[in-house]
Amino acid sequence: MSDFLATAVVGLGTYLFRAIFIVALAKRRIPETVLVALKYVGPAVLGALIVALLTDSDGNVAIGIPEVAAFVAGGFVAHRTRSHVWTLVVGMTVYWLTLALI
Amino acid sequence: MSVDRAIARRGVIDALPLFVPAIPFGLVIGLAITNTGMNPFVGWSGSWLIFGGAAQLTLVTLLGGGVAVAAAVGTALVVNARHLMYSAALAPTFQRQPRWFRWFGPYLLIDQLFALTTVRLDDEPDSFRAYYLAVGATFWILWSVVVALGLLLGPVVPEQWNLEFAIPILFIGLLVLGIEHWPELVAALAGAGVTYLAAGLPNRTGLLVGAFIGMIAGFVAERIRRE
Repeated sequence: MSDFLATAVVGLGTYLFRAIFIVALAKRRIPETVLVALKYVGPAVLGALIVALLTDSDGNVAIGIPEVAAFVAGGFVAHRTRSHVWTLVVGMTVYWLTLALI
Repeated sequence: MSVDRAIARRGVIDALPLFVPAIPFGLVIGLAITNTGMNPFVGWSGSWLIFGGAAQLTLVTLLGGGVAVAAAVGTALVVNARHLMYSAALAPTFQRQPRWFRWFGPYLLIDQLFALTTVRLDDEPDSFRAYYLAVGATFWILWSVVVALGLLLGPVVPEQWNLEFAIPILFIGLLVLGIEHWPELVAALAGAGVTYLAAGLPNRTGLLVGAFIGMIAGFVAERIRRE
């Protein structure tokens, strides 16, 4: 139940983000400082999330050669192809290969 | 065929190629729901309750990873905070729309829909609405189906494949695509570094601390870049 409630709260919050200016604050402008800060929410959260996903429940970060190799390869392919499909294919292949070789 | 119907068809045709990159994302979310042992229906309900892949994936993996519910919800909301910008950008166009659409339209406002409609802001109100709804409905239906497919595939995929590692790989892809200038890179590295240093904090709140410091770092870097 609490999982469903958590999902519903995120859904409601997301709707409010999407609706607030359209429904209620059409004449208001977002202050420049907030706009600049919002631009950096995405990269900051993604960087933090990647580390968090590799952290176990005891707070140890499990990052070794396979993970680093896959990130470098995946990041390079994302930059060159701008395709999630290729990023996933190459990143996972490099991960599996390095896991098998080490 | 009426003009609006032709425009709606245009919306569906425009949406389809943009949906292709979202397919692995949806499948991975389905797999992640299976891996975390979350109730499949609850996990899948995020597809239409949240209707935003990055936040849904964040919520599912954090809840499944034993993160405190409040921290998981907070992080997923932070991931979706960028929608404030879309709302502000589309607000003037929506003022010419009927009330029901001003309330309902934002529910569908995902990244791809925003990208496609930014070139149609000056269309006739009826045409804009037909196009917007067609793109949004296309994504909404396909997204729910793809996440459900991921749920069906989840139990079939052998555990030795370590497919959960696909999630950080997808985030790396999203991150790289979002980096236009070096301040974004600073934000990402600071976010990752601080989360690493704060990994021992209770309930994995290090994630929120890292994200916040990363945002500040990006903001400061932008100031330096402009000087």
